[in-house]
Amino acid sequence: MLEGMRDKACIVGLGQTRQGKLPGMSADEIAIWAFRLALDDCGLKKEQIDGLMVQESYGGAGDPVRVGRELGLNPKIGTSVIATGAAGAAMIQYAAMVVAAGMANYVAVMYGTNQSTNRNRFATGNPDAQAPFGMFNPGACAAMGFRRRMALYGTTERQLGTVTVTQRKHASLNPVAVLKDPLTVDDYLSSRYVIAPLRVYDFCHITDGGHCVIVTAPERAHDLKQRPVMIMGMGRADALQQWATPDEAVMQRVQRQTANMVYEMAGVGPADIDALYIQDAYTPAVLSAIENYGFCKEGEAGEFIQGGRIELGGELPVNLNGGQTSETYMVGWGHTADAVRQLRGVCGPRQVKDAGLIQCTYSGNLSDHTASIIYRRS
Amino acid sequence: MEANYNKPLPKIDESNRPFWEATRRRELRLQRCNDCHHVWYPAASNCPKCLSASVEWSPMSGRGTVWSFIVYHHCWHRGFEKEIPYNVAMVELEEGPIVITNLVDVRNEEIKVGMAVEVVFEPVTDEVTLFKFKPA
Repeated sequence: MLEGMRDKACIVGLGQTRQGKLPGMSADEIAIWAFRLALDDCGLKKEQIDGLMVQESYGGAGDPVRVGRELGLNPKIGTSVIATGAAGAAMIQYAAMVVAAGMANYVAVMYGTNQSTNRNRFATGNPDAQAPFGMFNPGACAAMGFRRRMALYGTTERQLGTVTVTQRKHASLNPVAVLKDPLTVDDYLSSRYVIAPLRVYDFCHITDGGHCVIVTAPERAHDLKQRPVMIMGMGRADALQQWATPDEAVMQRVQRQTANMVYEMAGVGPADIDALYIQDAYTPAVLSAIENYGFCKEGEAGEFIQGGRIELGGELPVNLNGGQTSETYMVGWGHTADAVRQLRGVCGPRQVKDAGLIQCTYSGNLSDHTASIIYRRS
Repeated sequence: MEANYNKPLPKIDESNRPFWEATRRRELRLQRCNDCHHVWYPAASNCPKCLSASVEWSPMSGRGTVWSFIVYHHCWHRGFEKEIPYNVAMVELEEGPIVITNLVDVRNEEIKVGMAVEVVFEPVTDEVTLFKFKPA
């Protein structure tokens, strides 16, 4: 049943604005800039876009009605999907279903933010259950999960440091990336704690920026400018119970269900994946995903990522864009964009040789929403 | 009780009033389903397991273990400024639910995942008594 959706949709257009600080632009203006870039990229005209999905954004931005008005579009489907850290991927999945069903032909999916310039402090905590005890910032649950991982499996802070150090190396090869200064594990271990056991380099680097992808059915992709990137598999699973199911939510084991779905639809397994992109608002997300998606056994990710295994040229390159600790924090959109570029073969010095299958995984910090997509070179 | 308490306070409404009234009496009470006996936190309008609406605020033993804990070195709220570094813990109660809380009477360096703890009560305003845990 699931394999019925395999290769039924593809990404044909990609728009990525400059990342970093974009003062003077609203989040919606930035998203619309990305939309224009995506149209230029694939050669479609605005009037051909008959599906619009906009991701909600900091400060009330990302309302599809307001963005549709600014774009001068009355599409067949104009909507948003609420799925926290998995929202971008979830919208790409719904866009794939919409074009496969023939309900729209070309769906533009977009996100823009100016939360760096507008100084989003990420100071929120549940007002009843968390804030009275001083629990603030979404990094708290990643820190809880990593502390428990240390206790259960003996994973060390030094092992965790490999995530951000490796990602920084990849960022140094990525013209889009914001942070490129070399970083060593010793630099990491001497940096300050923010929410122990997590340090400043475990936290995503908040930026402004925008992204857009255009999704269509493969038969409509032939006369466009870019080689299409096929959507081979899609998975979802949502731990809506959050803290009440801590193994699923904090240890992110709900992703095992996402994994089953994405691999079944794609008809492949972890051993077939040429590169892995993990939405990493906080670095422990990388360890969780590597285990839960079946690249190693439970509890072994700390060891698995050592020795260059997740570096460019290693057995399983991870986050070749530099991840969100170095490239830019775009709720996983930078990962999607880089996966598309890898499968177009345009990544230059950080190109994975002969990349054929790339998996992207996304998660809200409490795994309240998780998603994965396997992309295939056409 | 501290004068000029300036940390965030829980918003007490219909759904959680019995919980905070109980902590003022130095009791930890959570909702228990009268049909399937499931216990949960935070408050819900029905049993999240069997969907029964027959729900009772039932006393807990106050015993639990540390599921995980973290230590704040960055200040997101000035009410906590003087306490940095302070801990926040997830405690798994004997009855099953996880609560988010603080551990007291223990140095942060001595906290361990799996450590046995028991509830203590800390009145912070006339209306609000917080529940915290100390080593058992």
